[in-house]
Amino acid sequence: MRRLLSRVAVGLLTLAAVSVLTFLLFFAVPRDPAAAMCAKSCDSARLERIRAEWGLSDPVPVQYLSFVGRLVTGADGCPAPCLGRSYAGGEPVSDVLAHALPITVSVVVPAAVLWMTCGVLLGTLAAARPGSLTDRLVGALSLAGLALPLYLVGAVLLLILVYGTGTLPPPGWTPLTDDPGRWAGGLLLPWVALATTLAPGYTRLARAQVGDVLSADFVRTAAAKGLTGRAVVGRHALRASAGPLATLGALDVGAALGGTVITETTFGLNGLGRTVIAAVRADDLPVMLGAVLLGAVFVIGANTIVDGLQAVIDPRLR
Amino acid sequence: MAFALVLAACAACTDNPRGGASPEEDPVRQPTGVIATDPAASRGPAPETAGAVPGGTVTVFRQTALARLDPQRIYSFMGLSISQLYARRLTTFADDGSGKLTLVGDLAETPGTDVNGDCRTWEFRIKENVRFETGAPVTARDIAYGIARSFDLTLAGGPTYLQEWLSGTPQYDKAFDFEKDKAALPPGVEVPDDRTLRLRFPKAQCDLPFAAALPATAPVPAAADTGLDYDRAPVATGPYKIEGRTGDTELRLVRNPQWDPATDATRHQYPDRFTLAFGADPVAQTNRIMAAQGPDASAVSFDGVPPSLLSRVTGDPALDPRMLRSQTPRLTMLSINTRRVTDLSVRAALNRAVDRESLVKALGGAAVARPLTTLLPPSTIGWHAYDAYPKSAVDVAGAGELVLAHADDAEGQLAATSLATGLRAAGFTITTKAVPADNYLPEIQKADNPWDLYLDSWAPDWPSGAAVLPALYDGRSINAEGGNNGTSYLDARPLDAEFDRIQALPIDEQSPQWAALDEKIMREYAPVVPLYTELTCTIRGPSVGGLFVDSVFGSLAFVNAFVTP
Repeated sequence: MRRLLSRVAVGLLTLAAVSVLTFLLFFAVPRDPAAAMCAKSCDSARLERIRAEWGLSDPVPVQYLSFVGRLVTGADGCPAPCLGRSYAGGEPVSDVLAHALPITVSVVVPAAVLWMTCGVLLGTLAAARPGSLTDRLVGALSLAGLALPLYLVGAVLLLILVYGTGTLPPPGWTPLTDDPGRWAGGLLLPWVALATTLAPGYTRLARAQVGDVLSADFVRTAAAKGLTGRAVVGRHALRASAGPLATLGALDVGAALGGTVITETTFGLNGLGRTVIAAVRADDLPVMLGAVLLGAVFVIGANTIVDGLQAVIDPRLR
Repeated sequence: MAFALVLAACAACTDNPRGGASPEEDPVRQPTGVIATDPAASRGPAPETAGAVPGGTVTVFRQTALARLDPQRIYSFMGLSISQLYARRLTTFADDGSGKLTLVGDLAETPGTDVNGDCRTWEFRIKENVRFETGAPVTARDIAYGIARSFDLTLAGGPTYLQEWLSGTPQYDKAFDFEKDKAALPPGVEVPDDRTLRLRFPKAQCDLPFAAALPATAPVPAAADTGLDYDRAPVATGPYKIEGRTGDTELRLVRNPQWDPATDATRHQYPDRFTLAFGADPVAQTNRIMAAQGPDASAVSFDGVPPSLLSRVTGDPALDPRMLRSQTPRLTMLSINTRRVTDLSVRAALNRAVDRESLVKALGGAAVARPLTTLLPPSTIGWHAYDAYPKSAVDVAGAGELVLAHADDAEGQLAATSLATGLRAAGFTITTKAVPADNYLPEIQKADNPWDLYLDSWAPDWPSGAAVLPALYDGRSINAEGGNNGTSYLDARPLDAEFDRIQALPIDEQSPQWAALDEKIMREYAPVVPLYTELTCTIRGPSVGGLFVDSVFGSLAFVNAFVTP
């Protein structure tokens, strides 16, 4: 329990640091979100009144404290944790994030299952037959996967499978609850593209980890006792390698849930990644802060969970 | 008063070819304009669109989600176009897509009555049988309420013409506090009865019928006003209503059964629905529409064909009939900071030296921009072509070193490089200065900015010189911190009287006067180097028809859209 409380405290401190940093970076260059709200025929007096209306004329520390105050205690018509309203559209930031998050989750979670399963399976397969043709083929494939940028893989897949042959529907997002078939059809390409570029990392890690474990004494003992190759790999080698793989998985999934900017841009999906980019371009600090904090929550949360699971995965840590 | 605004030459109006013309052959669209005085012109139904059939779904692609739906807060090109489907306003333009514009009454029976003939008191009689989607009749009070809420700075973002004109000051929110009493009416707004709206202005506002065509005059039922949240679901009065929205991915409009075509002179209700699909970039939009699979066959790209695909699209004769091309009113100029470049001969020399043809070529050629030598865009009613400073060798003595600032983005760099090369070839000493794109506009809008030349652009809100010349060149609007909407900071006293004189003229007499003033400003002050007007160049699927590029904003118009089975 003490360990958990300390992890939560560190997580909260990290979030506070991220929010301060985002605030400071936002105001590091001269910018004026009020100018975008002022539209045509704007004059300095109206600009000033809009700044006052939105609290933009307050000193940066005061603006930050107001933000923290709203986050903790809420504001009029905006229950805690209140992230404020978008400068660009006036929409509550929580709504903006609530619209974008399901898209990113829909992209990341199935893709993560795909990239981890494929990556670990291929890596294990190669490690079980070191020096074989399979090993060399998997090595070459994973190297190619690491070298190929996602935007290139995505563009090629789109060109062939969507615009060229019409085999797949154009990428897009439909709520899973509305039409599961359309949901999967519209996201198949992003899943494949994301998995193609991320799986090789797992392949190489699994190849190295499982390979090391397979040459360890306890595995040789297990084999000498008459266990089959599959049982040796499955029960002993893979389990012993699961710790580093889970850590890498948590880091990747946590970061991806904060926004897969390139995937979302390549496939035209307005998830969290694109929301952040649009907010940065529009000087929309509330949305930027909300999205960055949400991303940080995912990374910290994923790491905390995987830390907790390490003891389950690896009995030596108990 | 029956009057025609201006009937300018319209030899080659069809700038929105339905096929045949290549972009290079695309002629200049020169609008003719009238204000309808016969109430019959403001009555519905709108003339049938050839080939139109009911049913189907029109899909509109756009990369960025439509940020605002609230009619009082709309000011984006897409917002102005799409809002025509669900938000009726006091007046609107009947537009045939080739330059023939007629301002008609939309919610009002006529485009407004100038009660005393002095442009200070305008009266609108609201049509019978115009209803909200709820079935409630639209009253003058609902329109007045919409105007009143536009005074609230929390709801800023939309046009401010009415607020400033009614209160007589740019600080209109000081003149009327909407938050304090939402049932009160702003100064000058009167509702003698449910069907009469009267607007009184402290100064003559002869352009009011034009300004009333902006969606800011759309009615809002006070009981439905949820402030900022009204943006999510504005109550419709047009042929379509908002069915729902899936985040920033999709916006769906469906038929509004309360809309009565007999009251509407400009809109139709052919498709069952419109789906606005957000996310795909212009390359993906164009590729999908070219492939035209499934629902993409009745889709259209709002963002247009990107330069990287232009040659492929324009080079395919099968795609040509599906192209929509038109000159827009959006103009780009090289502003000359007249506070720093004070010598008219230097400003004239800059105009003579600029190589517009090379600039247009650098930007993507005749399919994306057209060279311009006038202050007004050709889409202005009454516009006439002239070139005050034809390209020629120039004497650059006295010019000194000039700093050309540009936004530090791809387009800014491209344009600045092309312009600087041309000016250097003519003998000028030019230093370019890249300004972070995010901060570019606020910086050049500072009257004491340290640069001599910079790229600026303007899109008028209606096709009259009043929406360009006083907005950009009236020196009285310049103050210590910034300028009017223009960035040349021209402050010429003799022009002030001219602006006032023309703006007080009956609207039918204004257009030739604005055109004459355009040339006078260029010849006597040369405050900018006019560069080019943008062209809309987009593509539609084979199953969607009735789309055209409107003559007011140069954006896609959806009021005649239909889907063929």
